[in-house]
Amino acid sequence: MSTREELKQRACAAIDRYRDELIGVSRQILNNPEPGFSEYKTSQLVADKFDEMGIGYRRGLAMTGVKGRVSAGGGTGPRVAVIGELDSLIVNEHPHADGETGAAHACGHHCQIGMMLGAIRGLTHPEVLSELSGELVPFAVPAEEFIEVARRLQLREEGKLEFMGGKQELIRLGEFDDVDMAMMCHTASDMGDHKFAVGGTSNGHVVKYVQFLGRGAHAGSAPHMGINALNAASFALQAIHNNREVFRGEDTVRVHGIMTKGGEAVNAVPADVRLEWRVRSATPKAVVRNSAIVDRCFKAGALAVGAQVRITNIPGYLPMKHDTHMQELFRQNASSLLGEPRTLVIPGRRNRGGSTDMGDLSHLMPVCHPYASGAVGSGHSKEYLITDYETAVVNPAKIMAMVVIDLLAEDAKRAREVMNSHRPAMKKEAYLRFQRQRAEVIEFDGAQ
Amino acid sequence: MPSKEEVKLQVFDAIDSRADDLINLSKTILSNPEPGFREVKTSELVCKALAEMGIPFRSGLGLTGVRADLLGGSPGPTMALLGELDSLIVNEHPYADSATGAAHACGHHCQIGMLLGAAVGLNQPAVLSELSGRISLIAVPAEEYIEIEYRDSLRRDGKIEFLGGKPELIKLGEFDDVDLAMMVHTTSTVEEGKLCISGTNNGTVAKKIQFLGKGSHAGGSPHLGINALNAATLALSAIHFNRETFRDSDTIRVHPIITKGGEAVSAVPSEVRMETFVRGKSLDAIMDANKKVDRALRAGAMAVGAGVRIQTIPGYMPLAQNSQMNDIFRPVAAHLVGTEGVGHVAHRTGSTDMGDISQIMPAIHPYVGGATGLGHGADYVVQDYKLAVITAAKAMAATVVDLLADGAGSGNKVVAEHRPEMTRTEYLKFMRSLASEQTFEAEDNVN
Repeated sequence: MSTREELKQRACAAIDRYRDELIGVSRQILNNPEPGFSEYKTSQLVADKFDEMGIGYRRGLAMTGVKGRVSAGGGTGPRVAVIGELDSLIVNEHPHADGETGAAHACGHHCQIGMMLGAIRGLTHPEVLSELSGELVPFAVPAEEFIEVARRLQLREEGKLEFMGGKQELIRLGEFDDVDMAMMCHTASDMGDHKFAVGGTSNGHVVKYVQFLGRGAHAGSAPHMGINALNAASFALQAIHNNREVFRGEDTVRVHGIMTKGGEAVNAVPADVRLEWRVRSATPKAVVRNSAIVDRCFKAGALAVGAQVRITNIPGYLPMKHDTHMQELFRQNASSLLGEPRTLVIPGRRNRGGSTDMGDLSHLMPVCHPYASGAVGSGHSKEYLITDYETAVVNPAKIMAMVVIDLLAEDAKRAREVMNSHRPAMKKEAYLRFQRQRAEVIEFDGAQ
Repeated sequence: MPSKEEVKLQVFDAIDSRADDLINLSKTILSNPEPGFREVKTSELVCKALAEMGIPFRSGLGLTGVRADLLGGSPGPTMALLGELDSLIVNEHPYADSATGAAHACGHHCQIGMLLGAAVGLNQPAVLSELSGRISLIAVPAEEYIEIEYRDSLRRDGKIEFLGGKPELIKLGEFDDVDLAMMVHTTSTVEEGKLCISGTNNGTVAKKIQFLGKGSHAGGSPHLGINALNAATLALSAIHFNRETFRDSDTIRVHPIITKGGEAVSAVPSEVRMETFVRGKSLDAIMDANKKVDRALRAGAMAVGAGVRIQTIPGYMPLAQNSQMNDIFRPVAAHLVGTEGVGHVAHRTGSTDMGDISQIMPAIHPYVGGATGLGHGADYVVQDYKLAVITAAKAMAATVVDLLADGAGSGNKVVAEHRPEMTRTEYLKFMRSLASEQTFEAEDNVN
């Protein structure tokens, strides 16, 4: 029987042998960006790789998810998911944007597929896998970026999904019922000299699709006959800003959105104005409170000019809760691979402000979601580029493989400890109930 | 029997002989400005002048109003000549009362001078004997619709019902026995000439608004407060967002002020008060805009979870002038200032309670020049008192002569052919229907 160190060396050596392939896959995805629930090419690529590696899988989960399964040689035990996110953002001006759709990997998810495949390459080395217990679940998941709200609402209406985030939908479908813990690594550009970071948290959020309905009229000759839906929306946005002082600092509230339709012709009073909006906060309770404040503003916008508003509230993500045991394993392995000075431990209360559906999963099971550097530019912007694929793909692949070895070696002793010491914040049914309560449509007629 | 023109000459001579006194009296009022329903000294000056002329009068009408009637030689219609007693409040006006800020930035002090001047001219046996009917000289309180809080407190104390002087006097019955009415207002608009025939004016409703939030430490716990000032500023924005729906032809004017904007800069404002007018050319236009303003006020409150109390107070009616009276006034004006000195203005967007009078009887409200600066501004000053007081007095008195001489043929014709918009009863009923007080509670959908 080998020591864990020996297993890790074998896994890392295997990953190094596949280095070019892993980076190649990542670049191929970079050049074929697909937003959430449309990741058909990316999904196919993962399936091809699984075929090549002889990994059994199911695909088409929540439209595009691909879920592999590998039983370790040492017998039954905990089931560990290694997750990679399939989807891109939409950033038209990104240098690698799809000329037609504007889709672009401005958040580094393409590296996640590379590192997920890399970790599995290392772990499925025969002389590694045989000494682990339990199961590996390499899982390519759709739609982490919560965008294209109107399109996803359409998919929901067509019955193709209920929740609009990939992991949320996979939880609903039961695809995490046979998983005991999960991990993934996300790229980052804001880590200074550090190459890997653990800790911190993220915001929960609620997503809003808002439609103001006014009455069209000739904007020059009969503005008094119109009801200006753009004015209703502008007022609502201003009202939101007037509420910012009631957002608590410790709640890291982020309220932001875009206008997806602001009128049809400049010489007509806008009758139909649409927005996609987001309310983020550190706790689910704060999300609920602040979401109600924002709803009030949208209603006030309608009231201000006598328009109508329809607010579709869509369950968003939950704040991130890292499992402390898993996080410590990540810290140790990152330190041993990269050196302690290159490994950053972010205080648990430090909120990155963004949101991820890994937060939802973290309410149900032990989860860790560390960061690998290698990127430059602000996340979600056209400047966000991976400049160091070794750091962004190869290193996290190795670190995840090493953590899985720690968890599943020695009859999965540590994985069992993680499970035994973990108290989930919610059971799946409670989670689904909570999220379904967030889903509501508010209709308000300001002309009454 | 002397001709009308001969009678007018007698009138003019009498006025000219007292010109210095009349101008000095106007200047005395200028130096003792008093806002509406507080015109105690001004009212006393009027009483004293009437007493000196031996004209019986009644005072204390609508708190400070004074009425004196001059009887013609034979029966006929009653024509009221009006002069407004009240000042504005413009702290920076050169003639402002340093204690109260009251200032005659709208020239009403000249109106009292010209009213008494007309009295001087008409109160001669040889003149009155040629007239049929009666001339009612009425010094009226509170034309400027200001100090709404104060006046509303007078209302709540039962001292007045309406917040403007003429509506209050109509309610008190002081116009029940009046058939025609006229007053002359000063103007600083050069284009309006020396004497100006005018058309219509906006009507208005007044509003008192109170936003109710919740105080809290603005630094330590703003999240526990509900910012009533934010509600108010949003409400102002919401009003602006509606402006594109106001038709040019309706000349809507909505111009709020904040009369209380918080208590301490370190506390989230829990109570903010506003006053506004909603003016428009027609009653329908006013009511439409008023509905939009109410909605905007509620939107401001709703946006931050505050409550809002909206009190709507009847203001003034749109002014519609009697064209026959204007036709009579025009040659009078031309005689006094020359044809080239006679101006014309179709519509003014301010409001006057002469509008209320014009709803129930034939009335005119021409302008006289002599002022410079912006009306209601710190630079509104009367420069030419001879024009603003003496010529205006002559114009009023001469119009009376034209209407009431020769058996009041013209006056009777005007009265007979005039179709008032409302009877006095209808007017009072409508004004009372405008008054409302509504409270919209904060929506309790947060926390």
